[in-house]
Amino acid sequence: MSYDAASARNERAASTLRQADRTFWGRLVNWSPYRAFAGLIGASPRRQFLILALFPILWVLTQHLGPMIQMVGVSFTDAYPVAAGKEQHLTLDNYARFFGDSIFWMPFFRTLFFAATFTFCTLILTYPVAYYLARHVSRKNQMLMLLLLLIPFWVGEIVRTYAIMILLGNTGAVNLLLRSIGLIDRPIPFMYTSFSMGMGIVYLTALYMLLPLYSALEKLPKSYNEAAADLGAGAWTRFRRVTLPLTIEGISSGCTLVFLIATGFYATPVLLGGPSTTVFAETIAGFFHVAGDEWPTGAAFATIMFVSALIVTVVFQRLMSALRKGDVK
Amino acid sequence: MNRGNRVLLSCVYWAFVLYVFVPLILMVLVSFKDSKFIGFPIRSWTFEWYTGVFADAQVLSTFGYSVVIAVLSTAISVVVGTWIAVLLEGRRFWGRAVIFGLTVLPALVPGIISAIAFRIYARGLGIEPGMGAIVWAHAVHNVPFVVLVVMARLSTLPKSQIEAARDLGADPLIAFLRITLPYLVPAILGASIFCLLLSFDDFVRSFFLGGYEPTLPVLIFAKLRSGMSPEINAIATVALILTAVVGIWAERFTRRLKKETEG
Repeated sequence: MSYDAASARNERAASTLRQADRTFWGRLVNWSPYRAFAGLIGASPRRQFLILALFPILWVLTQHLGPMIQMVGVSFTDAYPVAAGKEQHLTLDNYARFFGDSIFWMPFFRTLFFAATFTFCTLILTYPVAYYLARHVSRKNQMLMLLLLLIPFWVGEIVRTYAIMILLGNTGAVNLLLRSIGLIDRPIPFMYTSFSMGMGIVYLTALYMLLPLYSALEKLPKSYNEAAADLGAGAWTRFRRVTLPLTIEGISSGCTLVFLIATGFYATPVLLGGPSTTVFAETIAGFFHVAGDEWPTGAAFATIMFVSALIVTVVFQRLMSALRKGDVK
Repeated sequence: MNRGNRVLLSCVYWAFVLYVFVPLILMVLVSFKDSKFIGFPIRSWTFEWYTGVFADAQVLSTFGYSVVIAVLSTAISVVVGTWIAVLLEGRRFWGRAVIFGLTVLPALVPGIISAIAFRIYARGLGIEPGMGAIVWAHAVHNVPFVVLVVMARLSTLPKSQIEAARDLGADPLIAFLRITLPYLVPAILGASIFCLLLSFDDFVRSFFLGGYEPTLPVLIFAKLRSGMSPEINAIATVALILTAVVGIWAERFTRRLKKETEG
């Protein structure tokens, strides 16, 4: 190789490097404030990690956990926000108030009962749908058919609740249909009952059940069912002994999600429910419509509801996993 | 037997499709009804309710207010969520499970409780009810969804690419900006659209943290409490079409992006 050729090549390489220096990234890397900054954060793997971790940890502690902690804290005080010149005292009165009056604990137990019932209805309604999608539809169509179901769920809570009001009203579509085929001659008052409320809540939460069920069913190999069939198991036995136990995880997470969401609805029960179906969310909200000194009671009630909902879901999940272990031995 | 099952199940699926679509279709139909009286049958049709909605300054400003809140809260959620996802999906560290648990907490707290807790916390910090409070509450509430989506995408990033960049002299920040971040774009876009829709549709947090100016769901709620009218149907229909179009577009767009970056 001649000297000239080598020097020409070096020259080309150097010019490529100079061009790299002129790109955005090249200039950034050579910019002295950036170098100082990179040196500061990249000094050691330990420091890199600390800088990466500091903000997320502070965020989740102050923004995710903070509000819950403060809510629990306020629930043990007698005044919040504290008026000028007054002192805040610790007290259990807010919790005592809950047990003292049926106007408070009735909606509470009603909420738990309703949420559990509606969760069960959602499960019964969506399991066949998820089963059909996961087992009987080709891969390509699965996505399209799931997307079709997703569309209505992008629409907000209030709009969908209103849609249910129009469906079930005295002059609504269902009553019109029933009347025109001659089944009834006076409209059935669906609205402002636990039925209309359940209809609305199932309508709003169905997707949160469907997706976990679908992914559990989709993961289940078809060969398991075929093996069971070869061993002589009928369709019902196959479902009960193979499919159901192996999708318990999906059932469990879907039910947990729907239960937690269903206990938290406020607008839907207000719009679709009646005086006999007051839920705890309405009770809690009542303390925040009035002047500030009722806030601690509202906080206590919200704490009671959150803790109970957690206990219910934990017990439920334990039960489900015990069931699974008992079945698949 | 098997075929019979299959036909039965497909009937169940289509019945479910009807169940989720029919109420919305009926609501849209009523928005064209030429009468103040909500209900069926519909005998004459009109566009009057829509022209009314687009001439109503309050509805239009509410609409803009909701969009601004959605955009601001999404911007916060996406930055924070991506940061947390990078931390959680990176090397294992002590207390990681606790941080993960705390990260998903806001998504699991029932709506009314989350709204109450945010209201009390905002009061403690001296934040007045209004736009800032709503943006903050939506941002915190939506972070878990960003984290989950971005983490799922991050777990499929070939680690060799990062190592190659580091070998070629990139410092960790440059490697993140030039390798990791571009790879995350489909996930981040998908998560952003989801956050926009969540914020735009949210009622309970906007209701308890809002000042005098309502967001769109709060406005519809207030109007509903004072009586049903086809005008509400028209407002709801506009919101419905907007959310559905944005949702479908995002779904297709992110799917295509994912295919491109993987292929």
